[in-house]
Amino acid sequence: MTHSTLLIAFPKGRLGDELVPKLAHTPLALDPAALKSRVLQIPTATPGVAALLLKGADLPRYVAAGVASLGIVGSDTLDEMDMDLLELADLGFGACRLSLCAKAEVTLEDLRARPHLRLATKFPKATEAWLSREGLTAELVPLSSSAELAPLLGLADAIVDLVQTGGTLKAHGLVETAILGRSSARLVAARGAYLSEPGRLRPLAGALIAALKGQD
Amino acid sequence: MAVRTPHFPDLLFSAAARLRKWEGTLMGHFAAHGYRELHPSLVLREAVPDGALRFFDGDELVALRWDFTMALAGLLARTFPAPPDRVAYAGAVFRRPVQPWEAVERFEVGCERLQPEGEPAAEADVELARMLMAVPGLLGLKSAILHLGNAALVRRPLEAEGLFGELADAVVAALSRRAPHRVREALDGHPSAARLTAHAEALLSEFDGPGTLGALAASPYAALLEEERSHMDRALQALLPILPPNLELRVDLADVAGLGFYTGPTLRLWAPGAQQELAAGGRYDRLFPGLGRPWQAAGFCVRLSRLLDLAATRPDLFEEPR
Repeated sequence: MTHSTLLIAFPKGRLGDELVPKLAHTPLALDPAALKSRVLQIPTATPGVAALLLKGADLPRYVAAGVASLGIVGSDTLDEMDMDLLELADLGFGACRLSLCAKAEVTLEDLRARPHLRLATKFPKATEAWLSREGLTAELVPLSSSAELAPLLGLADAIVDLVQTGGTLKAHGLVETAILGRSSARLVAARGAYLSEPGRLRPLAGALIAALKGQD
Repeated sequence: MAVRTPHFPDLLFSAAARLRKWEGTLMGHFAAHGYRELHPSLVLREAVPDGALRFFDGDELVALRWDFTMALAGLLARTFPAPPDRVAYAGAVFRRPVQPWEAVERFEVGCERLQPEGEPAAEADVELARMLMAVPGLLGLKSAILHLGNAALVRRPLEAEGLFGELADAVVAALSRRAPHRVREALDGHPSAARLTAHAEALLSEFDGPGTLGALAASPYAALLEEERSHMDRALQALLPILPPNLELRVDLADVAGLGFYTGPTLRLWAPGAQQELAAGGRYDRLFPGLGRPWQAAGFCVRLSRLLDLAATRPDLFEEPR
């Protein structure tokens, strides 16, 4: 890779699954053959621009450090990590709720009344902010995956997790008892790259917004 | 042996020589324009901020000099009944990084322009911009970009709306991220939400040369900010004819870095491809009145450690040493 290669960090997982089809037939379409391989740097339809496929939790760090000049990541991840980067647009897709979820028979009032509330979550910062707003205290149980299991197996009284359609919750007999916030995909940029080379980055950012949001 | 992140790395031969040369060149530049050197103590006893390197001197908690502007302000306010008009400084500063992996500022060279309160400040602002415009050439940077901003473009609308504290901080954080949608989210339900969001969109709509100033016309606060717009326009008219080759001038209406400190025009120097600004400064008229002195001040600081890092990682951005 040379200084002239511009890297865009794209997320793996749920957001990535929505993103890749939206980029098809745009100047930033990802090379299909490379996508099927184990290659982590994917050429795009624009020469000199390549994509990195990264886990959401790692992605902001690559952009903040300037390794990738642009990136797409959920606002929930940005809010948890508080990295120094620019957030150029709310792209709208990947919309979901950050919700407090518990077993179907447990209400929010039940949870409030618990003398020792335990909440399992991948989002401790957002959960602490909500607890503070509500005047509640709780023991946070940090998890990195399959949070739905925690209330079912007694690891926690409830979970704070992202809910898109509610299908996964329903499958596990859980329901949303409160909405803490909302999340969607954001276009982020490395502060240094954007401010020191705006002529290079702004057209690319505009192309991404046009492709993903349908406007320039 | 424990592995430590080198926040305060050693400098080997070429970097040490470059530091010595750059300090000398820049201090010579300042001296040639009437800026006299002051060297505040390396040990400070003022209120010590988070991030400073603290230690006990007997029973007293003290800190290594974490910032020249604050150290100089204490020295000047204690020592002089009237402000010396031009001062310069060079040396080491010590502070911890915000993020554990981040390199921090270690060596600074800078200058300050001081005046009694109430004196016209426009000429001093242009003088400082001219001083900074010479820096890339003196350091051998092949090309650079000077960003002109003005902290009052955000500060005054926030004050006019009576927005202070956490809510104002949230607006500033959103602007720092260049995210007008975050301004809207932060002010949801507040009476000023629509106006301040429109203002943020106007500030962020352009990021280019002198024509960028025209974007202010779309702001609901255009009339409130007419004086600042006019001040920036006059500065641009003075600076554009003397712009050195390989220096680009950009207007950054949404520059909010250091908004709690800066009160007026701001200056930031970048090199294409650099991940951090290489010099920064501006007008900070509230510093000396806070120390009991009715003085106004502006200045800038060249961040030599960032330049040293850049010379090591991107030598292609610099002219070959002669």
